[in-house]
Amino acid sequence: MAYSEKAKVFYDNELKSIRGAGLFKEERYIESPQSSTIVVEYPPGAEPKEVINLCANNYLGLSSHPAVLDAARCGLETRGYGMSSVRFICGTQDTHRELEQKLTVFLGTEDTVLFPSCMEANAGLFEVLLDKEDAMIADRLVHASIVDGMRLCKAQLFNYKHSNMAHLEEKLQETQSCRLRLIITDGVFSMDGDLAKLDQICDLADKYDAMVMVDDSHATGFVGKTGRGTHEYCGVMGRIDAITTTLGKALGGAAGGCVSGRKEIVELCRQRARPYLFSNTVPPVVVAASIRVIDLISSSTDRRDTLEKNTLYFREKMTQAGFDIKEGFHPIVPIMLYNAKLAQDFSRDLFAEGIYVVGFFFPVVAQGQARIRTQISANHTKAQLDKAIAAFTKIGAKYSILGKKKEEIVAMYGL
Amino acid sequence: MAQNGKVSEFYRNELIELQNADLYKEERYIHSPQSAKIAVEYPRGATIKEVLNFCANNYLGLSDHPALIEAVKSGLEKYGYGMSSVRFICGTQDLHILLERRMAEFLGTEDTILYSSCFDANAGLFEALLGEEDAIISDELNHASIIDGIRLCKAERHRYKHLDMNDLEHHLQQTGQRRFRMIATDGVFSMDGHLANLPAICDLAARYDALVMVDDSHATGFIGKTGRGTGEYFGVLGKIDILTTTFGKALGGSSGGCISGRKFLVDLLRQRSRPYLFSNTLSPLVVAGTLKAIELLEQSTHLRDKLEENTRYFRANIKRLGFEVEEGVHPIVPIMLHEASVVQSMARELYEEGIYVVGFFYPVVPRGKARIRVQISAAHEKEHLDKALSAFSTVGKRLGVLSAA
Repeated sequence: MAYSEKAKVFYDNELKSIRGAGLFKEERYIESPQSSTIVVEYPPGAEPKEVINLCANNYLGLSSHPAVLDAARCGLETRGYGMSSVRFICGTQDTHRELEQKLTVFLGTEDTVLFPSCMEANAGLFEVLLDKEDAMIADRLVHASIVDGMRLCKAQLFNYKHSNMAHLEEKLQETQSCRLRLIITDGVFSMDGDLAKLDQICDLADKYDAMVMVDDSHATGFVGKTGRGTHEYCGVMGRIDAITTTLGKALGGAAGGCVSGRKEIVELCRQRARPYLFSNTVPPVVVAASIRVIDLISSSTDRRDTLEKNTLYFREKMTQAGFDIKEGFHPIVPIMLYNAKLAQDFSRDLFAEGIYVVGFFFPVVAQGQARIRTQISANHTKAQLDKAIAAFTKIGAKYSILGKKKEEIVAMYGL
Repeated sequence: MAQNGKVSEFYRNELIELQNADLYKEERYIHSPQSAKIAVEYPRGATIKEVLNFCANNYLGLSDHPALIEAVKSGLEKYGYGMSSVRFICGTQDLHILLERRMAEFLGTEDTILYSSCFDANAGLFEALLGEEDAIISDELNHASIIDGIRLCKAERHRYKHLDMNDLEHHLQQTGQRRFRMIATDGVFSMDGHLANLPAICDLAARYDALVMVDDSHATGFIGKTGRGTGEYFGVLGKIDILTTTFGKALGGSSGGCISGRKFLVDLLRQRSRPYLFSNTLSPLVVAGTLKAIELLEQSTHLRDKLEENTRYFRANIKRLGFEVEEGVHPIVPIMLHEASVVQSMARELYEEGIYVVGFFYPVVPRGKARIRVQISAAHEKEHLDKALSAFSTVGKRLGVLSAA
């Protein structure tokens, strides 16, 4: 055997300690398409159960939309299943370029390059643009994929306190002597649903001659009046040097991502970004479906308007019911419970009531900030939202937290 | 936004430098499914031309196989299009679990974990399993994604000379104090089509108590008698601790990859591997397509047998024409032309003859080792191979690169 017993014992112990710390991640098996209701087998072996899904990034309800399925089928007919090649050898179809152009128009940028995922877009971007003479100035709470991309880049790394513009300005002043500087932020932060202050970030970038990069994965398709994203909402379209975003959430949710922005930046990604050069791009069938998605959301704002209305309704009713929820207007609606065990028990009880949500706690969020993160979709009907609100209210009453403030919940359950 | 002019100019200059150094990559637009024959628009705006494709990783011809297309359509019906979620929130279907089990059976391993690509699998592997007390000993010609995975890991890094078992042993001796050692290698090296010396690697691993990691992306589905990969070819299945591979080449070529191997390692990857935790897994339709690919390969070795036969035929005949070919058994057939300029002319003129191949030169391969990398597929019929051979002969004579046969 090419490995020692030592290794097995060691890795088994690591797993035990993950379990012991209550951090073991269990997967629930879904036996249906992704939608506002899904059929779930949980725990493994249990009778499959239909539940209302309040934890998907299926913001626009397009993950199993008939028009999207239809486009995927047509794409299979006309462009096949796989490319079996990277882009610059023989892995580029005319439809890849078409999707890139449509995304460019939709996002209001100069050009776009597809990546197999937004994770890979973020992993590949920084190393292409910056070197050790340069600086990356990143919000402390940016997504893991941005963190990995920055780890792969030689530029000096500076962090600013979450959405703290004074601190960002301080960092910009500190880095005046660097050749190039890039401010790096999520457009929407996934745990709280709060938006980056892109207007102020762009002003600071102008003042200090820095570039701006935004990951708009939780915004593209629905944030802003016509769903272009955080830059539309903040009125800074055309002022972001590089946007990264995903096709894996609101835009159908299958796979794929992109870098969209200045022409030169996009072109350099094509020449140098390692995940672009050394991995297949988005498969033809996903390209076909994504083109249809962009057409759908470009021609009508109905879906994002419904999502907005649903979100407003859910936020309002949940607040009225007495839940402590993070302020905002994003379809990510964090129901604050503060205590990790309470979050776990609460989500388990909700599952029994037919509501599928997930609790988040340390280390995913800060210690003492445990919550249930609900996510609203344009696909949710009013009846489904009402059922969810009723179930939340029932379980909230069971744990006596309705109408309670943070201090009171903490007093009852601890941090 | 920054200094409009300054930044644009800075990056524009970088692009010009790439162009001046002949390193600028241009993409050709394909207006058809991937197949033995494809419709290409090149240069941009030119009339679309049908050419024979000799540069895809479509080894088994499954990229547009009717059975896969049908399976994907049924998958769409039953499981939808996207999951819009990561695995541990609400992005796992029973279908994903089925594919993981089927891959473990096919590869002869204990367990399997899916990734959105083999690139991500390699990027997320090392960091999740090894820390600064450990060492990775890696073949110097390993794929870029392994290199990136190693860059993200805190373990001590060692590189051994390509395929050099003495040098590998030297590094194993040097790292005796480390807690764990992992030997990392491609199963097949994509520029030469060389296979790693897995029997020697596994022996050394046993002797020095090291783990063995193999990326079998250019092998899964067709190398070995039943297409299980380099482990099967060398009779060391079961001695490889961690296998990474792709669904983006022979197995339909769409996207996705996996890590397959010891259960205790796979279990830990599910808890810790960043690309697995923070990115969607394979979309349901790719899972459905890949399941069908595996089913086809388990039913019959017909496709890999045909690929083997095609490869043997092409290798024998291209040599007979007087070309210098890197020896081997793999459907990657490097035609050595040495000079970058000759390679570029050759690829261009072959394209005019209706044969689509790509030239590789420095810095992708060492200086003086420029080549055309031909890739054979089970989708090629004998007439395709003959047409390519005849085009190679014509252009080879014209460019004066054929040795007296």
